[in-house]
Amino acid sequence: MGEDDPKSSFEDFDARLQSARQRQMPRPRGSQQAKPLGVAMRISVELAAGLVVGGGIGYVLDRWLGTGPWLMIVFFFIGAAAGIRNVMRAAKELNLSSQDDESDSGPRPSD
Amino acid sequence: MHNPLEQFEISHIVPMNIGGLDVSITNSALFMVLVVLVSSAFLILGMRRGSLVPGRWQSMSELTYEFIASMLTDNVGTEARKYFPFVFSVFIFVLVANLLGMVPYAFTVTSHIIVTFTLAMIVFLLVTLVGFIRNGAHFLKLFVPSDVPWYILPLLVVIEVVSYLTRPISLSVRLFANMMAGHTMLKLFGGFVVMLGALAGWAPWLFIVALSAMEVGIAMLQAYVFTILTCIYLNDAFHPSH
Repeated sequence: MGEDDPKSSFEDFDARLQSARQRQMPRPRGSQQAKPLGVAMRISVELAAGLVVGGGIGYVLDRWLGTGPWLMIVFFFIGAAAGIRNVMRAAKELNLSSQDDESDSGPRPSD
Repeated sequence: MHNPLEQFEISHIVPMNIGGLDVSITNSALFMVLVVLVSSAFLILGMRRGSLVPGRWQSMSELTYEFIASMLTDNVGTEARKYFPFVFSVFIFVLVANLLGMVPYAFTVTSHIIVTFTLAMIVFLLVTLVGFIRNGAHFLKLFVPSDVPWYILPLLVVIEVVSYLTRPISLSVRLFANMMAGHTMLKLFGGFVVMLGALAGWAPWLFIVALSAMEVGIAMLQAYVFTILTCIYLNDAFHPSH
Protein backbone atom coordinates (compact mmCIF):
# COMPACT_ATOMS: atom_id res chain seq x y z
CA MET A 1 0.00 0.00 0.00
CA GLY A 2 2.87 2.31 0.75
CA GLU A 3 3.94 1.89 -2.86
CA ASP A 4 0.58 2.53 -4.33
CA ASP A 5 0.07 5.96 -2.87
CA PRO A 6 2.90 7.97 -4.46
CA LYS A 7 2.29 6.35 -7.81
CA SER A 8 -1.32 7.40 -7.95
CA SER A 9 -0.46 10.88 -6.81
CA PHE A 10 2.11 11.07 -9.62
CA GLU A 11 -0.52 10.03 -12.09
CA ASP A 12 -2.88 12.56 -10.67
CA PHE A 13 -0.21 15.21 -10.97
CA ASP A 14 0.43 14.22 -14.54
CA ALA A 15 -3.22 14.53 -15.41
CA ARG A 16 -3.45 17.89 -13.71
CA LEU A 17 -0.31 19.09 -15.49
CA GLN A 18 -1.72 17.98 -18.82
CA SER A 19 -4.99 19.78 -18.31
CA ALA A 20 -3.23 22.90 -17.06
CA ARG A 21 -1.01 22.90 -20.11
CA GLN A 22 -3.97 22.49 -22.37
CA ARG A 23 -5.72 25.38 -20.72
CA GLN A 24 -2.70 27.59 -20.98
CA MET A 25 -1.86 26.84 -24.57
CA PRO A 26 -4.81 26.98 -26.86
CA ARG A 27 -4.05 26.19 -30.46
CA PRO A 28 -1.81 29.02 -31.55
CA ARG A 29 -3.08 29.43 -35.08
CA GLY A 30 -6.44 29.30 -36.74
CA SER A 31 -9.60 30.90 -35.50
CA GLN A 32 -11.58 28.94 -32.96
CA GLN A 33 -14.83 30.15 -34.41
CA ALA A 34 -14.48 28.58 -37.80
CA LYS A 35 -13.07 25.32 -36.56
CA PRO A 36 -16.05 22.91 -36.41
CA LEU A 37 -17.26 24.16 -39.77
CA GLY A 38 -13.78 23.77 -41.17
CA VAL A 39 -13.54 20.20 -39.91
CA ALA A 40 -16.93 19.28 -41.36
CA MET A 41 -15.98 20.92 -44.61
CA ARG A 42 -12.66 19.13 -44.77
CA ILE A 43 -14.07 15.66 -44.08
CA SER A 44 -16.91 15.99 -46.56
CA VAL A 45 -14.67 17.37 -49.27
CA GLU A 46 -12.22 14.49 -48.81
CA LEU A 47 -15.02 11.97 -49.15
CA ALA A 48 -16.54 13.60 -52.21
CA ALA A 49 -13.16 14.05 -53.88
CA GLY A 50 -12.52 10.32 -53.64
CA LEU A 51 -15.79 9.55 -55.40
CA VAL A 52 -15.20 12.16 -58.09
CA VAL A 53 -11.68 11.01 -58.85
CA GLY A 54 -12.58 7.31 -58.76
CA GLY A 55 -15.60 7.77 -61.00
CA GLY A 56 -13.61 10.03 -63.31
CA ILE A 57 -10.78 7.54 -63.72
CA GLY A 58 -13.29 4.75 -64.41
CA TYR A 59 -15.14 6.87 -66.95
CA VAL A 60 -11.98 7.82 -68.83
CA LEU A 61 -10.72 4.22 -68.84
CA ASP A 62 -14.11 2.98 -70.04
CA ARG A 63 -14.15 5.43 -72.93
CA TRP A 64 -10.59 4.53 -73.80
CA LEU A 65 -10.95 0.76 -73.60
CA GLY A 66 -14.62 0.58 -74.52
CA THR A 67 -15.44 -1.70 -71.62
CA GLY A 68 -19.00 -0.66 -70.94
CA PRO A 69 -19.82 0.66 -67.51
CA TRP A 70 -17.72 -1.90 -65.66
CA LEU A 71 -14.51 -0.05 -64.96
CA MET A 72 -16.47 2.98 -63.87
CA ILE A 73 -18.37 0.87 -61.35
CA VAL A 74 -15.18 -0.73 -60.07
CA PHE A 75 -13.33 2.56 -59.80
CA PHE A 76 -16.31 4.22 -58.18
CA PHE A 77 -15.97 1.80 -55.30
CA ILE A 78 -12.21 2.16 -55.25
CA GLY A 79 -12.72 5.91 -55.16
CA ALA A 80 -15.11 5.52 -52.25
CA ALA A 81 -12.49 3.46 -50.44
CA ALA A 82 -9.85 6.09 -51.17
CA GLY A 83 -12.19 8.78 -49.86
CA ILE A 84 -12.76 6.84 -46.65
CA ARG A 85 -9.01 6.32 -46.36
CA ASN A 86 -8.52 10.07 -46.69
CA VAL A 87 -11.16 10.74 -44.06
CA MET A 88 -9.49 8.29 -41.68
CA ARG A 89 -6.17 9.99 -42.25
CA ALA A 90 -7.68 13.44 -41.76
CA ALA A 91 -9.40 12.32 -38.56
CA LYS A 92 -6.14 10.91 -37.26
CA GLU A 93 -4.40 14.19 -38.01
CA LEU A 94 -7.13 16.17 -36.31
CA ASN A 95 -6.89 13.96 -33.24
CA LEU A 96 -3.15 14.41 -33.19
CA SER A 97 -3.31 18.16 -33.51
CA SER A 98 -5.87 18.44 -30.73
CA GLN A 99 -3.82 16.26 -28.41
CA ASP A 100 -0.20 17.18 -28.83
CA ASP A 101 1.01 20.51 -27.66
CA GLU A 102 4.63 19.69 -26.92
CA SER A 103 5.65 18.10 -30.19
CA ASP A 104 4.85 21.21 -32.19
CA SER A 105 8.44 22.03 -32.92
CA GLY A 106 9.59 18.65 -34.18
CA PRO A 107 9.00 17.45 -37.70
CA ARG A 108 5.58 16.04 -38.24
CA PRO A 109 5.41 12.27 -37.74
CA SER A 110 4.68 10.71 -41.07
CA ASP A 111 2.29 7.83 -41.16
CA MET B 1 -33.17 42.72 -56.68
CA HIS B 2 -29.59 41.69 -57.26
CA ASN B 3 -28.68 38.16 -58.03
CA PRO B 4 -26.33 36.93 -55.28
CA LEU B 5 -24.31 35.02 -57.85
CA GLU B 6 -23.81 38.02 -60.10
CA GLN B 7 -20.59 38.88 -58.30
CA PHE B 8 -18.90 35.80 -59.75
CA GLU B 9 -19.55 36.74 -63.36
CA ILE B 10 -16.55 37.11 -65.62
CA SER B 11 -16.63 40.20 -67.78
CA HIS B 12 -14.22 41.18 -70.52
CA ILE B 13 -12.33 44.38 -70.02
CA VAL B 14 -9.87 44.33 -72.91
CA PRO B 15 -11.01 41.81 -75.53
CA MET B 16 -8.06 40.04 -77.10
CA ASN B 17 -7.87 37.09 -79.44
CA ILE B 18 -4.61 35.40 -80.32
CA GLY B 19 -4.71 32.52 -82.78
CA GLY B 20 -8.33 31.65 -82.05
CA LEU B 21 -7.70 31.63 -78.32
CA ASP B 22 -9.67 33.99 -76.17
CA VAL B 23 -7.00 35.67 -74.07
CA SER B 24 -8.97 38.76 -73.15
CA ILE B 25 -8.15 40.60 -69.98
CA THR B 26 -11.13 39.90 -67.76
CA ASN B 27 -12.02 41.20 -64.36
CA SER B 28 -10.53 38.00 -62.97
CA ALA B 29 -7.21 38.58 -64.73
CA LEU B 30 -7.24 42.20 -63.66
CA PHE B 31 -7.66 41.22 -60.04
CA MET B 32 -4.92 38.62 -60.25
CA VAL B 33 -2.58 41.35 -61.48
CA LEU B 34 -3.82 43.53 -58.63
CA VAL B 35 -3.11 40.74 -56.16
CA VAL B 36 0.46 40.47 -57.39
CA LEU B 37 0.89 44.26 -57.27
CA VAL B 38 -0.56 44.58 -53.77
CA SER B 39 1.50 41.73 -52.35
CA SER B 40 4.68 43.05 -54.01
CA ALA B 41 3.97 46.53 -52.72
CA PHE B 42 3.33 45.15 -49.24
CA LEU B 43 6.63 43.31 -49.13
CA ILE B 44 8.84 45.74 -51.07
CA LEU B 45 7.60 48.92 -49.46
CA GLY B 46 7.55 47.18 -46.08
CA MET B 47 11.20 46.22 -46.38
CA ARG B 48 12.31 49.47 -48.05
CA ARG B 49 14.07 50.80 -44.99
CA GLY B 50 15.24 47.46 -43.69
CA SER B 51 15.99 48.96 -40.29
CA LEU B 52 17.19 46.88 -37.38
CA VAL B 53 14.22 47.89 -35.28
CA PRO B 54 11.29 47.30 -37.63
CA GLY B 55 8.46 49.71 -38.07
CA ARG B 56 4.84 48.65 -38.44
CA TRP B 57 4.93 47.66 -42.11
CA GLN B 58 8.33 46.07 -41.86
CA SER B 59 7.35 43.94 -38.89
CA MET B 60 4.23 42.81 -40.72
CA SER B 61 6.32 41.66 -43.68
CA GLU B 62 8.80 40.00 -41.37
CA LEU B 63 6.06 38.24 -39.43
CA THR B 64 4.60 36.86 -42.64
CA TYR B 65 8.03 35.67 -43.68
CA GLU B 66 8.76 34.01 -40.34
CA PHE B 67 5.30 32.46 -40.19
CA ILE B 68 5.81 30.62 -43.46
CA ALA B 69 9.46 29.85 -42.76
CA SER B 70 8.63 28.20 -39.44
CA MET B 71 5.65 26.39 -40.97
CA LEU B 72 7.94 24.93 -43.61
CA THR B 73 10.66 23.84 -41.19
CA ASP B 74 8.12 22.47 -38.70
CA ASN B 75 6.30 20.40 -41.25
CA VAL B 76 9.02 19.35 -43.64
CA GLY B 77 12.39 20.10 -42.11
CA THR B 78 15.30 22.43 -42.73
CA GLU B 79 16.25 20.79 -46.01
CA ALA B 80 13.00 22.12 -47.49
CA ARG B 81 14.18 25.73 -47.26
CA LYS B 82 14.95 25.53 -50.98
CA TYR B 83 11.21 25.51 -51.65
CA PHE B 84 10.48 28.47 -49.40
CA PRO B 85 10.01 30.93 -52.29
CA PHE B 86 7.39 28.69 -53.85
CA VAL B 87 5.45 28.08 -50.64
CA PHE B 88 5.64 31.72 -49.70
CA SER B 89 4.37 32.80 -53.12
CA VAL B 90 1.45 30.40 -52.87
CA PHE B 91 0.58 31.69 -49.43
CA ILE B 92 0.80 35.37 -50.20
CA PHE B 93 -1.14 34.98 -53.46
CA VAL B 94 -4.02 33.11 -51.85
CA LEU B 95 -4.04 35.35 -48.80
CA VAL B 96 -4.05 38.62 -50.72
CA ALA B 97 -6.59 37.28 -53.24
CA ASN B 98 -8.92 36.26 -50.40
CA LEU B 99 -8.50 39.54 -48.55
CA LEU B 100 -8.88 41.69 -51.67
CA GLY B 101 -12.13 39.85 -52.27
CA MET B 102 -13.42 41.27 -49.00
CA VAL B 103 -13.16 44.82 -50.33
CA PRO B 104 -16.61 45.93 -51.49
CA TYR B 105 -17.09 45.79 -55.28
CA ALA B 106 -13.93 43.73 -55.63
CA PHE B 107 -13.80 40.47 -57.51
CA THR B 108 -12.73 37.37 -55.56
CA VAL B 109 -10.26 35.49 -57.71
CA THR B 110 -10.24 32.42 -55.46
CA SER B 111 -14.01 31.98 -55.70
CA HIS B 112 -13.53 30.39 -59.12
CA ILE B 113 -12.72 26.72 -59.12
CA ILE B 114 -10.53 26.97 -62.19
CA VAL B 115 -8.19 29.38 -60.42
CA THR B 116 -7.89 27.30 -57.26
CA PHE B 117 -7.66 24.10 -59.27
CA THR B 118 -4.79 25.50 -61.31
CA LEU B 119 -3.02 26.53 -58.12
CA ALA B 120 -3.62 23.08 -56.63
CA MET B 121 -2.38 21.39 -59.80
CA ILE B 122 0.81 23.45 -59.72
CA VAL B 123 1.37 22.35 -56.13
CA PHE B 124 0.50 18.75 -56.92
CA LEU B 125 2.74 18.48 -59.98
CA LEU B 126 5.64 20.19 -58.26
CA VAL B 127 5.36 17.94 -55.21
CA THR B 128 5.19 14.80 -57.37
CA LEU B 129 8.17 15.98 -59.40
CA VAL B 130 10.19 16.80 -56.31
CA GLY B 131 9.30 13.43 -54.84
CA PHE B 132 10.54 11.57 -57.88
CA ILE B 133 13.65 13.69 -58.30
CA ARG B 134 14.69 13.35 -54.67
CA ASN B 135 13.77 9.71 -54.10
CA GLY B 136 13.61 8.18 -57.56
CA ALA B 137 11.58 4.99 -57.58
CA HIS B 138 11.70 5.08 -53.79
CA PHE B 139 8.92 7.65 -53.95
CA LEU B 140 6.54 4.88 -55.00
CA LYS B 141 6.85 3.49 -51.48
CA LEU B 142 4.33 6.17 -50.57
CA PHE B 143 1.69 4.02 -52.23
CA VAL B 144 2.65 0.77 -50.52
CA PRO B 145 1.29 0.52 -46.99
CA SER B 146 3.56 -1.38 -44.64
CA ASP B 147 2.68 -4.59 -42.78
CA VAL B 148 -0.27 -5.61 -44.92
CA PRO B 149 -0.86 -9.20 -46.07
CA TRP B 150 0.22 -9.67 -49.68
CA TYR B 151 -3.18 -10.74 -51.00
CA ILE B 152 -4.84 -7.37 -50.39
CA LEU B 153 -1.75 -5.34 -51.25
CA PRO B 154 -2.64 -4.81 -54.96
CA LEU B 155 -6.06 -3.46 -54.03
CA LEU B 156 -4.60 -1.19 -51.37
CA VAL B 157 -2.00 0.17 -53.77
CA VAL B 158 -4.74 1.12 -56.23
CA ILE B 159 -6.70 2.76 -53.43
CA GLU B 160 -3.63 4.67 -52.29
CA VAL B 161 -2.92 5.89 -55.82
CA VAL B 162 -6.50 7.11 -56.20
CA SER B 163 -6.28 8.71 -52.79
CA TYR B 164 -3.11 10.49 -53.90
CA LEU B 165 -4.88 11.73 -57.02
CA THR B 166 -7.70 13.26 -54.97
CA ARG B 167 -5.27 15.73 -53.44
CA PRO B 168 -5.57 18.51 -56.02
CA ILE B 169 -9.36 18.17 -55.98
CA SER B 170 -9.79 18.36 -52.24
CA LEU B 171 -7.20 21.13 -52.03
CA SER B 172 -8.91 23.29 -54.64
CA VAL B 173 -12.52 22.55 -53.72
CA ARG B 174 -11.91 23.47 -50.09
CA LEU B 175 -10.61 26.94 -50.93
CA PHE B 176 -13.10 27.62 -53.70
CA ALA B 177 -16.16 26.40 -51.76
CA ASN B 178 -15.27 28.41 -48.68
CA MET B 179 -14.79 31.62 -50.63
CA MET B 180 -17.84 31.18 -52.83
CA ALA B 181 -20.16 30.18 -49.99
CA GLY B 182 -19.05 33.09 -47.84
CA HIS B 183 -19.45 35.69 -50.55
CA THR B 184 -22.81 34.32 -51.67
CA MET B 185 -24.06 34.43 -48.10
CA LEU B 186 -22.92 38.03 -47.68
CA LYS B 187 -24.74 39.08 -50.86
CA LEU B 188 -27.83 37.12 -49.89
CA PHE B 189 -28.14 38.81 -46.54
CA GLY B 190 -27.37 42.12 -48.20
CA GLY B 191 -30.46 41.48 -50.32
CA PHE B 192 -32.47 40.81 -47.17
CA VAL B 193 -31.47 44.18 -45.77
CA VAL B 194 -32.86 45.91 -48.86
CA MET B 195 -36.02 43.79 -48.89
CA LEU B 196 -36.89 44.27 -45.25
CA GLY B 197 -36.14 47.97 -45.41
CA ALA B 198 -35.75 50.30 -42.45
CA LEU B 199 -38.31 48.45 -40.39
CA ALA B 200 -36.61 45.06 -39.91
CA GLY B 201 -33.54 45.38 -42.09
CA TRP B 202 -31.27 46.01 -39.17
CA ALA B 203 -31.36 42.34 -38.12
CA PRO B 204 -29.72 40.94 -41.28
CA TRP B 205 -27.53 44.02 -41.31
CA LEU B 206 -26.13 43.15 -37.89
CA PHE B 207 -25.65 39.62 -39.13
CA ILE B 208 -23.65 40.89 -42.10
CA VAL B 209 -21.41 42.87 -39.79
CA ALA B 210 -20.64 39.72 -37.79
CA LEU B 211 -20.33 37.62 -40.92
CA SER B 212 -17.89 40.04 -42.53
CA ALA B 213 -15.59 39.73 -39.56
CA MET B 214 -15.82 35.98 -39.78
CA GLU B 215 -15.20 36.09 -43.52
CA VAL B 216 -11.96 37.97 -42.99
CA GLY B 217 -11.00 35.22 -40.55
CA ILE B 218 -11.93 32.53 -43.07
CA ALA B 219 -9.96 34.33 -45.78
CA MET B 220 -6.83 34.08 -43.65
CA LEU B 221 -7.60 30.60 -42.38
CA GLN B 222 -8.08 29.21 -45.87
CA ALA B 223 -4.82 30.71 -47.05
CA TYR B 224 -3.19 29.06 -44.04
CA VAL B 225 -4.88 25.71 -44.75
CA PHE B 226 -3.86 25.79 -48.39
CA THR B 227 -0.27 26.49 -47.43
CA ILE B 228 -0.03 23.96 -44.64
CA LEU B 229 -1.39 21.26 -46.93
CA THR B 230 1.26 22.24 -49.47
CA CYS B 231 3.82 21.75 -46.70
CA ILE B 232 2.35 18.38 -45.70
CA TYR B 233 2.44 17.22 -49.31
CA LEU B 234 6.02 18.44 -49.62
CA ASN B 235 6.82 16.42 -46.52
CA ASP B 236 5.55 13.32 -48.30
CA ALA B 237 7.82 14.16 -51.20
CA PHE B 238 10.79 14.48 -48.86
CA HIS B 239 10.04 11.51 -46.59
CA PRO B 240 7.93 9.00 -48.52
CA SER B 241 8.02 6.38 -45.77
CA HIS B 242 4.67 4.87 -45.16
